[in-house]
Amino acid sequence: MLRFARNDALLFLVTAAALLILQDAALAQAARHPFAVGPAESGGAATGFAGLILAWQSKFQLQLQSAVRALKTDGGAFFPLAAASFAYGVFHAAGPGHGKAVLASYMIANETALKRGLLLAALAALLQGSVAIAIVGVAAVAFSATARQMTDAAGYVEAASYLVIAALGARLVYVKGRALLDALREPALALAPARAFACDWTDDPTHVHGPDCGHAHMVDPATLGAGFRWGDALATVLAAGLRPCSGALLVLAFALSQGVFLAGAGAIVLMSAGTAITTGALAATAVFAKDAAARLTQKSARRATTIFRGAELAAALLVLALGVAMLVGWLARSS
Amino acid sequence: MRPRLPGIIVILALLVPGFAKAHPHVWVVVRSEIAFTPDGKVRGVRHAWTFDEMYSAFALQGLGKDGKPPTREELAPIAKVNAESLAEFDYFTFAKHDNAKAAFGPPEDVYLEADDKKIVTMHFLLPLETPVSARKPFSFQVYDPTYFVAFDFEKQDPIALAAAPSGCSTSLVQPKPLLSAETQKLSEAFFSNMSPGADFGIKLATRVVVACP
Ligand SMILES: [Zn+2]
Ligand SMILES: [Zn+2]
Repeated sequence: MLRFARNDALLFLVTAAALLILQDAALAQAARHPFAVGPAESGGAATGFAGLILAWQSKFQLQLQSAVRALKTDGGAFFPLAAASFAYGVFHAAGPGHGKAVLASYMIANETALKRGLLLAALAALLQGSVAIAIVGVAAVAFSATARQMTDAAGYVEAASYLVIAALGARLVYVKGRALLDALREPALALAPARAFACDWTDDPTHVHGPDCGHAHMVDPATLGAGFRWGDALATVLAAGLRPCSGALLVLAFALSQGVFLAGAGAIVLMSAGTAITTGALAATAVFAKDAAARLTQKSARRATTIFRGAELAAALLVLALGVAMLVGWLARSS
Repeated sequence: MRPRLPGIIVILALLVPGFAKAHPHVWVVVRSEIAFTPDGKVRGVRHAWTFDEMYSAFALQGLGKDGKPPTREELAPIAKVNAESLAEFDYFTFAKHDNAKAAFGPPEDVYLEADDKKIVTMHFLLPLETPVSARKPFSFQVYDPTYFVAFDFEKQDPIALAAAPSGCSTSLVQPKPLLSAETQKLSEAFFSNMSPGADFGIKLATRVVVACP
């Protein structure tokens, strides 16, 4: 039973990451969409709950549209725009292209701290909003750039983000690959120092844990994903948040055309907050899932460690694959 | 708590992909005219696609002088690029003749127009590779399989016939609505679309049928 549950959780980790990656990799289509707004952000054939999301998405975007229009006539009408932006952020970020895949994979490969995961999600969402504001703000306000030029600018930022994703993936593969090799090579005892075990079986303080001491051991979740580095975390924020969001670009261009660009920029910050909620929920799910998998693992610490290093490596490989697939797709589109 | 968590996780895993996909950003209202050859065959479809306010604002950014909308000439380069990239997406127009797929050639008479309210409309004629007899049913749908663009036919007079043989008529076959208006409950069509792999775009798209005696 417990084994079954553990396998469930592990299976989830890798499946969820794979699904997210597939979802995002669908963006790496070879053809450029004729009505693309900034980076590619199409969703692929829609199934399942998509119908509902579709209805909501339409509703919020139309609300945004009328809220911007209302602001033009009534400068005090910021609240409806703020509310619509926030709601749009929450639902819209469920779609591909908002860094969820990168974040989730990074969290599985590397991270076990919930607060840090939420912070990374928030920073990535904020960065995504800022990039959109920068593109429309600088390009359009200062140089009266056209849609084509804004889309091109967004395209270069997009390519840069894929490079960062691929580089982050490569680094994670290297680190996690080595960790897996170590886990396979080292004797069980050396691999499992006492503090990696938590034992609720006995209160005997003299009890020494070991692989053969006859009762259940858990892997301490805190030791999984050890070796946190701010460099990786920052690269994750860049990888997940650098690519601007089509929805934000549209709102900003419309706000600009209505002469309320600053209010539009404010709305985008709120949209980012909404996005952060969705991506943050996903990051939290990844952390919880990993934590749950660790807690459910009671049979053999050694085996568990090997499996975990394997799952981490799989997540790292997915990040690398995503980065490369998106980069190839971008090159194909822009050649 | 422990035994339940994997279940929750599995549910989340099932939700994530379905939750995430459909994603319209651009809304287009379609008016189409069926073009005929002098000898009464269906020659193709002449589209007028009107974009929503936001996309129009994006498309017109940096164009036009003194607050006036840009002219057709100013918009010509964009129209050209749009027409070219439409080819990769089958012009979002999927036609059938006598139950077989009917292919379109490159678009003609392509131009973009911006009205006084700065709403953009794209016009083009989409000729069939070979004109087809109108005696057998000709039909088409307009949709974006990637669902980046949501296409809808104009409410009033979406379809016109140009120089059609006498007795020809058109009809619109509507898809079942996702949310039926009276009950605000999810309709049957929604649930039948829950199955994985169902092509939402097709099921949601109105089909225009042209019939001549
Ligand atoms: Zn977006
Ligand atoms: Zn989007």
